[in-house]
Amino acid sequence: MKYLVMETHPAYAVLLDQSGRFLKAANLNYHVGDTVMDIIELSPAPDSGQKRIRLLRRMTGSLTAAAACFLLLFFGVYRPNFTPYGTVRLQINPDIQMTVSQTERVLDLDALNQDGEDLLEGYEYQGKSREQASEELIDRAMDMGYLTEGGTVSITVESDDSDWQQEEEEKSLAQMREKYGQTIIIRTGIMEEEAEEPLLQTESDVEIIIDLPTATPAPQTETPTPAASPTPTPVVIPSDDDDDDNGAVWHGNDDDDTGNDGWDDDDGDDDSNDDDSDDGDSDDDDSDDGDSDDGDDD
Amino acid sequence: MVKTEHEIVEKVYAAKTDSQAADALIQQYLGFIRNEVARAVYRTDNGREDEESIAMFAFYEAILSYEKGRGAFLSYAARAIRNRLIDYYRKEKRHRKIISLDTPFQEEDEGNSLMDTLADQSDHFDGYAHREASQQEIREFEKKLEEFGISFSDVADNCPRQRRTFSACLRVLEYAREHPELLEQLLRSRKLPVNELSAGSGTDRKTMERHRKYLVAILLAFTNGYEIIRGHLCQLGEGKEEAAI
Repeated sequence: MKYLVMETHPAYAVLLDQSGRFLKAANLNYHVGDTVMDIIELSPAPDSGQKRIRLLRRMTGSLTAAAACFLLLFFGVYRPNFTPYGTVRLQINPDIQMTVSQTERVLDLDALNQDGEDLLEGYEYQGKSREQASEELIDRAMDMGYLTEGGTVSITVESDDSDWQQEEEEKSLAQMREKYGQTIIIRTGIMEEEAEEPLLQTESDVEIIIDLPTATPAPQTETPTPAASPTPTPVVIPSDDDDDDNGAVWHGNDDDDTGNDGWDDDDGDDDSNDDDSDDGDSDDDDSDDGDSDDGDDD
Repeated sequence: MVKTEHEIVEKVYAAKTDSQAADALIQQYLGFIRNEVARAVYRTDNGREDEESIAMFAFYEAILSYEKGRGAFLSYAARAIRNRLIDYYRKEKRHRKIISLDTPFQEEDEGNSLMDTLADQSDHFDGYAHREASQQEIREFEKKLEEFGISFSDVADNCPRQRRTFSACLRVLEYAREHPELLEQLLRSRKLPVNELSAGSGTDRKTMERHRKYLVAILLAFTNGYEIIRGHLCQLGEGKEEAAI
């Protein structure tokens, strides 16, 4: 094959071969118009290399975008909605506990005692909010006879995030009270099994002790307003006794003397001074914010 | 003049598409190139010209193929030069029975055989006069291409590499030769009559657009005045003989 030299540069030349191909080759002392035979042709790397690299870059870009999207969805949607963030415990007589996401979605529902199991039997909690589930369960409890007018529901919220915990507790109380407060006592704090102290004393000895202001700023100051106070029928809860917790809401509850079967009536005044320091004080803040990874890849 | 790597890389990228920038960059690094040659070769007679040409060519190839991820450009270029020189010596070895690559090059008086492969040989073929005529014609051809905004380098870059595409382009050429009015149209309008050519030759437009510059050049070669070039193109892929029109 012969090549016609069409153009020369210091480092290369443009040649025309006999089949009509134009190509670049080493300029071995060529002059325009020369015909040459042995050439050193340019190796055709650049295109494919660049193409692959460009493709790789484009793929990397898409991959990064996809990763970012995923992280966004994961942390923005999945985690707050589907990862357990705390628990909400409802105690009536049945004792149940909801595992709840940051966005108040009920992820799990467990019974903590036998009555609780009965209460929960056949109950579907999927996708419901804490509010909805709480209401439905309270309704259920009433239907099933566990809860009657004047009964007490105790809500306890627990979480590593104390701010959230407090907020949820307040919300719970407010919401349940709004719905049931006329007939049911809604309070917070874990009710101990053994009957320690009476709920309230008789007559007008209703003292509202507001202990730690940490917990619920919600209607703490509710005095024994007749509206709010349940009827004198004592709670039928067999073995429940509440210690009260800090500064929680006391609904003025007067039981008559006969109401306290089996309960110790120690003294006239309340005991309400024990502060369980459950909610409210949070020394530990672990604010776990997932992993601090950066979604970059190259 | 110490340049930072960043500056060099910028220049390299500019030189990829701008032949003047490429020439300038190569000129700038001529010392570097010569140095690389000296390291690879021991010949001190002026036979080193070839190595230098090859080394410069290798540098140019490096400019075209370099990507940012491949390390420092100069190291990359040095490797390219070395590889090209090795290839060259290997080829030469066959011709000249040179001692092994590993041993340093010594002065040899076999320079002639090297010369055989060089352009000088063409002088023996064609003669000085012929070369002058060729040069003249090619220069005119170059000017004509300029009217279309095309350079020889552009044409070489644009020339199809795949056999299939190349054949398609030759079919376009064939059709144009059979319909000289299209060639006239090409000259008049300074544009490639893509529609007619595409329809007539059965080549799809996209291919034609992608290799527009090449097509212009090869079609132009078949307009008046380029006999020598056509004489050179005696085998157009299909072995068609074409005497000067």
